[in-house]
Amino acid sequence: MLKLIGAAIILSSCGAGGLKIAHVYQERTRVLRFLQNGLNLLETEINYISTPLPLALRRVSEKLTQTPRILFGKAADILQKEEGVTTKEAWERGIAELNHRVPLTREEIGILSVFGCGLGISSKEDQLKNISLAREQLRMAEKAADEAREKNQRIWQYMGFGLGAAVVLILL
Amino acid sequence: MAKIILNLNRNQGQREKESLTKDGKILPAWFLTLPVHLRSLVEKGIGIEMDGIEEIRLRIGRPLVFRSREAELTIDPAGWPTAELSQGVVITRADLDRTLQNLSQGSLYAWEDEFKNGFLTLPGGHRVGLVGRGVLDKGSLKTLKDISGLNFRIGHEVLGCADEVMPYLFRGRQVLHTLIISPPQCGKTTLLRDMVRQFSDGMRTLRFNGVNVGLVDERSEIAGMYLGEPQFAIGLRTDVLDACPKALGMMMLIRSMSPAVIATDEIGKMEDIEALTQVLQAGVSVVTTVHGDCYEDICKRPVLRDLLDWQFFERIVVLSRREGAGTLEAILDGKTRERVKKIC
Repeated sequence: MLKLIGAAIILSSCGAGGLKIAHVYQERTRVLRFLQNGLNLLETEINYISTPLPLALRRVSEKLTQTPRILFGKAADILQKEEGVTTKEAWERGIAELNHRVPLTREEIGILSVFGCGLGISSKEDQLKNISLAREQLRMAEKAADEAREKNQRIWQYMGFGLGAAVVLILL
Repeated sequence: MAKIILNLNRNQGQREKESLTKDGKILPAWFLTLPVHLRSLVEKGIGIEMDGIEEIRLRIGRPLVFRSREAELTIDPAGWPTAELSQGVVITRADLDRTLQNLSQGSLYAWEDEFKNGFLTLPGGHRVGLVGRGVLDKGSLKTLKDISGLNFRIGHEVLGCADEVMPYLFRGRQVLHTLIISPPQCGKTTLLRDMVRQFSDGMRTLRFNGVNVGLVDERSEIAGMYLGEPQFAIGLRTDVLDACPKALGMMMLIRSMSPAVIATDEIGKMEDIEALTQVLQAGVSVVTTVHGDCYEDICKRPVLRDLLDWQFFERIVVLSRREGAGTLEAILDGKTRERVKKIC
């Protein structure tokens, strides 16, 4: 009986681990897609309303319902509440917060960081170019992440349980 | 001869409105735009209330300067105020960049028009003038870059400063076309703002109930609009067209907001005069200002001379600095050019 319980625990833990990794692949694709939506909203705020960044980022965060709202919301919080913080620093801390929730690749973090370097410090025309570039890079990253998801998601969904079953068999 | 000096001391209400609370301390918005080390020097040397200070100037490589009505002073690196400007704390590029970052909330793109016009408005209605290198596009100024100097002009709101002149600006219930003549920094915008407020809110003592006032605030000085909110008391029935050219704004207000009074600052261009004649035809009263030392000075300027010859204005209020800012020199009848208020 005890062995049976132990086997069930091992099987379910390994299975859950596999499902979690598979979920990360799926979530990353979604995050990259919604980040592009966020940039679209930011573009509207900058282009048509010329909203200053603290308020623009806050509005984007309120309009987004998915995970990337963390990035915009955190940066807006810092800009509105903390003194002497540059936009770049606030954006970097937003990226760190997002990365804590959804593991992003170094390349994806790089895209967001480079975008943050130019955020707010130039003319509207330059800002729109910066947004457009970041959006295009995120679109390509999303495509790559989607391919990785297709390749790995199903594998990890089964591999967790498979690994669990193998461990159980060895132990038995 | 002139003995009436309008009370141009700032009122407490404005101080509270312009201020932001930080760690339990009430700090004016302009103060928070300075870099931290300059803030502590200012707080130590002068104090953030800064009564009487009209301008604060930051120029790269030169000392921080405060200008009051009577004098200029600076703060030395130890935080002591001194009139010897060469001993003052020197402003660096980093200081100016940090101030600009704070002023623009890290969003230079949001203030492109303001940079082009050479000034920004802050909460509290204060204005910050900018100088730097002009960027031209097809011969016209696109924006400013390499900003090298800032001038914080501390806005003044003085509720009731127009009390002395208001009784002379009516005929029955009709507001008279009024021109305020004043040299720079003698309180004409402050006076105009309070006149707008009183026309808009009404005056119980004069049994005037208040009317719709249209305010064309081309340089955002009268209402001090910040993100769509007036930073000064401009009255319950006042509609503001902010940062809009005067002539265009006057016509827009007449068509859309049915004002009984239109107020605007510093007329003088030919197009302003054309718009004023249209305002006259619409039966709307005009209250405006012009730079000048006296009535005779205005009569020498071609465009304004025509307006005075047509006897467009029914009241002319003349201010000077003779006995301090806001010295009321005369209130004239625009037709007879005689004094309607005796000033002894």
